Amino acid sequence: MTIEFKSVLPSPLKEYPHQNDSVWKSNFVLEFPNNVMLNASSGKGKTTFVNLVYGIRSDYDGVILINNRDIRTMSLFEWIELRRTSLSVIFQDLQLFGELTLWENLILKNQLTNHKTENEIESMLNHLGIGDRKNQICKTLSYGQQQRVAIIRSLLQPFELLLMDEPFSHLDEQNAKLALDLISEETKKNNAGFILSSLGSKHGYNFNQELKL
Amino acid sequence: MLKKILFKNSRNSQFVFATAGALIGLTALLLSVQLMLDVRSFHSTEEELFGPNSVVIQKKVTKMTTIGMNNTEFTPEDIDALKEKEFITDVAPFASADFKVGISEVEGDGLPHFYADMFFQAIPDRFMDVKDVDWTWNEQSEFIPIVLPRDFIMIINYGFAQSQGINQISEELLMAARLTIHIKGNGKEHKMIGRVVGFSQKISSILVPESYLAFANPIYGNGNIINPSRVFITTTDDSYGELEDLMEEMNLDIAKSAIDVAKIKTIITVVIGIFGVAALLIMLLSLMGFVQYSQLVLSKASYEIRTLLRIGYSVKSIVNTFIRQLAIIFGLITGFSIIIMLIVKVFLVNPWLDNNGIQLESSSILPTIMVAIICFILFIVANYLNVKKTIFNLGKDQ
Repeated sequence: MTIEFKSVLPSPLKEYPHQNDSVWKSNFVLEFPNNVMLNASSGKGKTTFVNLVYGIRSDYDGVILINNRDIRTMSLFEWIELRRTSLSVIFQDLQLFGELTLWENLILKNQLTNHKTENEIESMLNHLGIGDRKNQICKTLSYGQQQRVAIIRSLLQPFELLLMDEPFSHLDEQNAKLALDLISEETKKNNAGFILSSLGSKHGYNFNQELKL
Repeated sequence: MLKKILFKNSRNSQFVFATAGALIGLTALLLSVQLMLDVRSFHSTEEELFGPNSVVIQKKVTKMTTIGMNNTEFTPEDIDALKEKEFITDVAPFASADFKVGISEVEGDGLPHFYADMFFQAIPDRFMDVKDVDWTWNEQSEFIPIVLPRDFIMIINYGFAQSQGINQISEELLMAARLTIHIKGNGKEHKMIGRVVGFSQKISSILVPESYLAFANPIYGNGNIINPSRVFITTTDDSYGELEDLMEEMNLDIAKSAIDVAKIKTIITVVIGIFGVAALLIMLLSLMGFVQYSQLVLSKASYEIRTLLRIGYSVKSIVNTFIRQLAIIFGLITGFSIIIMLIVKVFLVNPWLDNNGIQLESSSILPTIMVAIICFILFIVANYLNVKKTIFNLGKDQ
């Protein structure tokens, strides 16, 4: 998968000055499978970047191409197809279903894709240390636990690119490392790449590319 | 699981009102459709004989008629004028026998001895809507089928029989017995056998098949060409108003009872029609209520719907989950409406009509069920379009 930016500038960021090496208002191409780090302090537009590529926002100038296709021309149906088959995401606000149990949240996704067996999902849960919380209502989990649920949910589908918006913000380094290991392993299995936005920590991982905002 | 997410906020007063409205509206609508059909299929015995909406008209006999200043014949121009009226679908002048007729009993058939001078008239066979009776006549026929005025048997039973000290005759007996028909004219005399096949309130003539008059008139008639004095007409439904205007205009006489049935039917139809229109309005309001209800549920679940679209759920699968649920709700409403309608009809309306002397024969409930199914489909389609549009918009402006 390729993602190309041509002088993209989101409307909310128009007022602010951008450095020359910023992704905003510049032209560049991202090729996947590659592991890309999106590094910036708060307020520079990390979430905006993720939402632009995931097709959730359209308030920007310039052109974004996914696989050489201008994403402005993609219909809702094409987006849904893309999100189901080749583009996965971990939202900063997670977007889990609070009323459902942890397990139901995962099954809801997996029954759509049939990507993993129940045993595989359970071993992922155990790997991230929340296997004993399976039947707990999601909104009663701690944010760190919910973050791990969102991470596993994003892996329950085939993908070429995984977008992650500060996925480890509420995890300690140990748990972040475990999660990144799992993500890295799944990414390899899918022969995919990822973009990880972070407030600065590289979590000890070796990225192919780094973007600045 | 989709259902659990989408309908988590679905219980509210809006739902209760919309459901109650739909139930009441649909029940009332189905009831009015069913009663309308029942009334439409209601025939008096008269109509069974001559078909619905048929009326005999004649010109009024006045003083002027008696002194010969005008006559009660319908000229060919009159007939043409009748044919041109839009509410009249068929016109048939009565053919009259051009010879003398008398009837008496056939000995041994159970009737007392009697003799009466008579006259024969005929209307075209297409007006005789008799199903069980052979209304055809040819020279090989065993007997001449006759339709008598009901008043005739009244006169015999309550006037003639009592004053002469003879037995009264039931309609059944008269229909079972044969009659001797005495024909006299053109210098010839002949006896034939006749049999009463029906009674009429509407026509105060003694009716025989047209084919019989066509056969007998040239033989026993004097060759006079007479304009008919009575005309049989068939009108369109609910046209008694126009008919009354026509009676005024052409100075006509008409058997009042004949148009009473039409009048009652029209009035009942109008009343039920108004009821039906009100029911239809309730239905439409409740449909709007349901559309609003689903709009409410959708907007309460907008976060969930957006998220589902974001994790790869298709618009179609969400719409289908929604519509399946609404289909169950409205399916139950439709089913209950049919049941309540039948209960109300059988246990309330029918006994009430019965007590008031109106016997309606129940017609098939199939058309009513069809109406219910059409309402169901209309409901599903309206909601489907609305839900699909809303979900699509939620997905688009995410």
